[in-house]
Amino acid sequence: MSGHRHNAPESDIALRVKAIEQLLTEKGIVDPAAIDLVVDYYETRVGPRNGARVVARAWSDPDYKARLLAEATPAIAELGFSGLQGEDMVALENTPEVHNVVVCTLCSCYPWPVLGLPPVWYKSPPYRARIVREPRAVLAEFGTRVADDVEVRVWDSSAELRYMVLPMRPAGTEGLDEEALAALVTRDGMIGVTAL
Amino acid sequence: MGELTAQKLAEIIARGSTKRRPDDGAPPRFAVGDRVRTRNDHPPHHTRLPRYAMGRTGEIVLLHGTFLLPDSNARHLGEQPQHCYGVRFTGKELWGAQGHPADRVVLDLFDAYLEPA
Repeated sequence: MSGHRHNAPESDIALRVKAIEQLLTEKGIVDPAAIDLVVDYYETRVGPRNGARVVARAWSDPDYKARLLAEATPAIAELGFSGLQGEDMVALENTPEVHNVVVCTLCSCYPWPVLGLPPVWYKSPPYRARIVREPRAVLAEFGTRVADDVEVRVWDSSAELRYMVLPMRPAGTEGLDEEALAALVTRDGMIGVTAL
Repeated sequence: MGELTAQKLAEIIARGSTKRRPDDGAPPRFAVGDRVRTRNDHPPHHTRLPRYAMGRTGEIVLLHGTFLLPDSNARHLGEQPQHCYGVRFTGKELWGAQGHPADRVVLDLFDAYLEPA
């Protein structure tokens, strides 16, 4: 390939987005600077490292964990994370008896302030259709084996609540501080498709 | 409504836009542990009751408080704020023989979707 990618026709979706953006700005509905702001914000400033800090704090501080599980929105705001698509949060604790996993079967609802924007697979119809129907098979495809006597609890974000999973703390991490613990926490672990 | 500027958008991102509404003081119709059945009327308009959970029996597990009703709000018919509940269904109830005995699905469902079971 020559690398002259600009010669290839753009995809339908890219063309449609450009057309909509042009219409919105030409009609004075959206300032182009607002589009730049939202892209920059969600590409560079918000992402799963925020959620990882919440998890690491909960693993390190039992009082914080209790607050997080009782009322997640203010507990998460203590660490500075709040706002759009995180207005009404619920934290779900994984235990040896229950493995939690989150989906939005109707669209792509996702807790932006703690996890950033959702990965493509989270928005895909196969994930959304299958995780409620055969969650163990889907989890196995992520490399997560759940024993038959462990409950798999799937949370379908069908209304206005947004969910994040508090994974089980990995064994052998007793000596680690919060920063080192946060480095162990993954986006997929907080969606619940993997264990840590 | 004026142009959406970067400043306005930054404020929206920071503050969010909760769909939670003040309680009208009426107690929720259901309590944690109550058995409920979902409507099965396949409305032609926007709804947050997924088809796979229509006409199914589950158990109230969480009381989320009062939120506007998307079915009504999306059609510009008013917010109709009402209680929203976390309702847990077994895999067997949703999927029959294909359901795993230890699978559960929790959905957030509005009062209007539910009847006592």
